[in-house]
Amino acid sequence: MIKLFSLKNQKKDGEQGSIRAGNPKRASAAQLRITKDINELTLPKTCNIDFADPDDLLNFKLIISPDEGFYKGGKFVFSFKVSSNYPHEPPKVKCETMVYHPNIDLEGNVCLNILREDWKPVLTINSIVYGLQYLFLEPNPEDPLNKEAAEVLQNNRRLFEQNVRKAMLGGVVGNTYFERCLK
Amino acid sequence: MKVKIKSWRGVAVWKWIANDDNCGICRNGFDGCCPDCKMPGDECPLVWGQCSHCFHIHCIMKWLNSQNVHQLCPMCRQEWKFKE
Repeated sequence: MIKLFSLKNQKKDGEQGSIRAGNPKRASAAQLRITKDINELTLPKTCNIDFADPDDLLNFKLIISPDEGFYKGGKFVFSFKVSSNYPHEPPKVKCETMVYHPNIDLEGNVCLNILREDWKPVLTINSIVYGLQYLFLEPNPEDPLNKEAAEVLQNNRRLFEQNVRKAMLGGVVGNTYFERCLK
Repeated sequence: MKVKIKSWRGVAVWKWIANDDNCGICRNGFDGCCPDCKMPGDECPLVWGQCSHCFHIHCIMKWLNSQNVHQLCPMCRQEWKFKE
């Protein structure tokens, strides 16, 4: 079992390496467009954006710290990967903070319509920021990625609220341990 | 007084007449061109949909060609039909 795990990890590392190697820097259409998006960004006061490499606008992190709702006081980090086909393809967005949320699974996949089927190239990074912020204000129990959380939200809002608190404080909800993510 | 014109030089400017300044897809000005072209003008024209929204032809074609089921205007999500 242990051997299998380490093999899997090695494979993952190898894949990441090759992606990096095959990504030379060029002023592409995607870069021109993302530059405009970033220049015109108007972030709500609950959001921050962080560029690990200021010369690389195609990869960055968004930090959302909701100031109301179920997730008030929490701090959630999302990674954005903008492909060279942007804006004809949406950015790939993942939640790096483990969160108890009906529309975000435990691997960080996010269920937001404009990140998938409803994406259109006139949308911007700002549209996604507001979409993600909305997910924390109004988690949507229909069409869930985390079915257990969705069921609790639908049947017992009080318990859902308690579970969210417990997870954000750092604790076990269901069979899952959540790391503390309060500010 | 009589004026005799010995020579003259014509100067003209051109401009697209669109209901917006920028292409919603690439965000470049309509007076400029799409990111794949070098010169604005006839080589990178604008097109209008029947919904009245307007884009660089290269931008909207790239989008429409990537849609295999419905071809919708990226602005208003109505079915995209070229305005004659």
